Amino acid sequence: MKRHAYRSMESRLSLNRRDFFRVGGAAGAVAGIGLLAGRSLAAAQEQAPAPPAKPATNIADALKFPRTKTSLPGPFPGRVVEVRDPASVSGAKVDAAAVRAMFAKGMMALTGKDLVSSFGLFFTKDDVVGIKVNPVGPGLISTRLEVVDAVIDWLAAGGLPRRNIVVWDRFDYMLKDAGFTPERYPGVSFEGLQTMDEAAAEGKTKDNSRWLRPDGTHVSADNFDRDVFYWADVEGPKDEPYLNQHVFNGKHSYFGRLLTRKLTKIINVPVFKNTGNAISMATKNIGYGAVCNTNRLHKPLFLDVCVEVPAFPVLRDKWVLTVTDGIKGQYDGGPGPEAKFIYDQGALFFGTDPFAMDLVCHTLLVAKRKEMGVKVNEHPQFTEYLRYAERLGLGVADPAKIAHIKA
Amino acid sequence: MRRTLLAATLAAVIAALLAASVVTPPDGFAPGWVKAEALRTFGGSRLFDHIDGGAELYLEFGFKTLGVQRYARGADELVLEVYEMTGAESALGLYLMKCGIETPLVAIAARNSSEAAQFTILKGQYFLHVNNASGREDLVPAMTALANRALETVPDERPADLLSMLPAEGLVPGSAVLFRGPVGLQAVFTLGEGDILEQRGDVFGVSGAYEEPLDGRFSVILVAYPDSARAAAAYAGLEARLDPYLTIIQKGESAFVFKDFKKEYGRAELKGDRIEIRVGLVTPPALWPTLRPSGSWPPARSQGEPPPG
Repeated sequence: MKRHAYRSMESRLSLNRRDFFRVGGAAGAVAGIGLLAGRSLAAAQEQAPAPPAKPATNIADALKFPRTKTSLPGPFPGRVVEVRDPASVSGAKVDAAAVRAMFAKGMMALTGKDLVSSFGLFFTKDDVVGIKVNPVGPGLISTRLEVVDAVIDWLAAGGLPRRNIVVWDRFDYMLKDAGFTPERYPGVSFEGLQTMDEAAAEGKTKDNSRWLRPDGTHVSADNFDRDVFYWADVEGPKDEPYLNQHVFNGKHSYFGRLLTRKLTKIINVPVFKNTGNAISMATKNIGYGAVCNTNRLHKPLFLDVCVEVPAFPVLRDKWVLTVTDGIKGQYDGGPGPEAKFIYDQGALFFGTDPFAMDLVCHTLLVAKRKEMGVKVNEHPQFTEYLRYAERLGLGVADPAKIAHIKA
Repeated sequence: MRRTLLAATLAAVIAALLAASVVTPPDGFAPGWVKAEALRTFGGSRLFDHIDGGAELYLEFGFKTLGVQRYARGADELVLEVYEMTGAESALGLYLMKCGIETPLVAIAARNSSEAAQFTILKGQYFLHVNNASGREDLVPAMTALANRALETVPDERPADLLSMLPAEGLVPGSAVLFRGPVGLQAVFTLGEGDILEQRGDVFGVSGAYEEPLDGRFSVILVAYPDSARAAAAYAGLEARLDPYLTIIQKGESAFVFKDFKKEYGRAELKGDRIEIRVGLVTPPALWPTLRPSGSWPPARSQGEPPPG
């Protein structure tokens, strides 16, 4: 199974595992027990570590920019369209014609216009449109090529030149592995914001020359815009494996120059999967896919990043549409691909409000997890980021205000 | 003296090498199948270099090494992953978290949950995956042969019977899990931030779902500490740092009742060297439940506990 070396989360443990003792006790623990036994409960309580405060970020800078007519949540706040066709998928086979029909149905239900007319709601023929895919689990739970076919055909039918279409992701090699190639999509271009040497990351080679320049910087460093960044008061690790994967390791997560300088509109096509008790769909695909140096953010700011990164105008004003690819779904084991938990769902979801879409999809995924007997923790912390987005005016998170339309 | 030191060092090195050894079957475990690349190994936190997120659960349970061996037969491919954990309980804990509803394949010579795309296997302190990315059913015989050849050299070891801490009555079959820290506990319930039960990576907890006529479905969480002092400290920490979405509605010296974000109820109690917690109760529990007959849940209070009130 192809598994990309995508270190998307860091350990929350800092204990020295050599000190662990097995069940029944070990000498290493005795000293600690002795110390505790001598304390009063009150003292132990006083010394209990308080939860760490969230690190400061530059979200206030993002909010200073006036909104535009294309700012999130777009023309259809709170509106999420779900289209299902069980015949669209059977195991590894996806029915391209069925997907195309689902796409047309979904866009018409979202916009109230026919497919060709709906183009004009979002784009002009001069736009340069980036299609953000999720290629992390090729063959299992990556964005289906057939869904991207439908999106590209829609754009082309609307009059957008194919040369103005860019299929993109953060990692260039993942695009290729998932089948997003010029041979498959003639006339369309493909861009990864960065490269990463998988062999070096997996320890297959000590040769770093494919990603590290002699001056100690990453070969993809210039692909990121030093003038446009998400800053958080938490530093990335200084080691080479981290730099290989994350390009920078300070307190800045720079936006890709593709987004700041080239694309004028963005369509997000994430997949339908979990990340622990939360989901890794519309907002995580962009929040962690548009900037570098992200691993440092997982532990202290995890889902907040899915709000704060898209709050910057480079995304807020360009990200006009989300089509969540639920042809396949993964209800557990995510965000990495886990074959056992991947199932045929035959669904597509459409919206301009990615936060409303995440709430709808989160609810559906929780129901699936319950159905499959997976332990479910429904703590509000896993959806709090959606309410945060609503407070920032980026989307709708109140279920009472969300129109979930099954077309 | 130097010779003794050298011998001891050598013995330690050999022991470490043996402990870190990963068993992977040779070419020909089934007709036509050969190794497609060299064995790759990942130790400790380098697991992040292999797993797409989620490595922290492995590390929390106690992870030593992972060996990844890719096999091929023409265009067909299988991947064997052998995770060596720090103990049989760690491997069992990981297996229970990862197996989902168990679907065992009887032809595999160890506890397993298997389907065409992936076998998930437990033996001793080893946790194994056999991955078949194609999902093709016709590769299942080769996957089975690969799994069984790998298992031949995996030492067996019985884990301590931690799950028996859970009362048997009302326990939903297949619902019991182990956890060894906040990442595992998070799958069950959020009691607070960080290592809220102060397991410190060295104490296992157990949890299971229960069905009862009065309470419907709820979960029980139990942690047994090395001694009562540590349990008491953990209990005090739990009460002090309880998740802000949980509201204590009744409190005694060594128990409290809380209401959660779903307007369901829970109860935590310090019982000697244990903390016992019930969550997801439809009706508010009593702070000190009426004693029930022996063997029923919750267990009868022990001597010396504070009186109900």
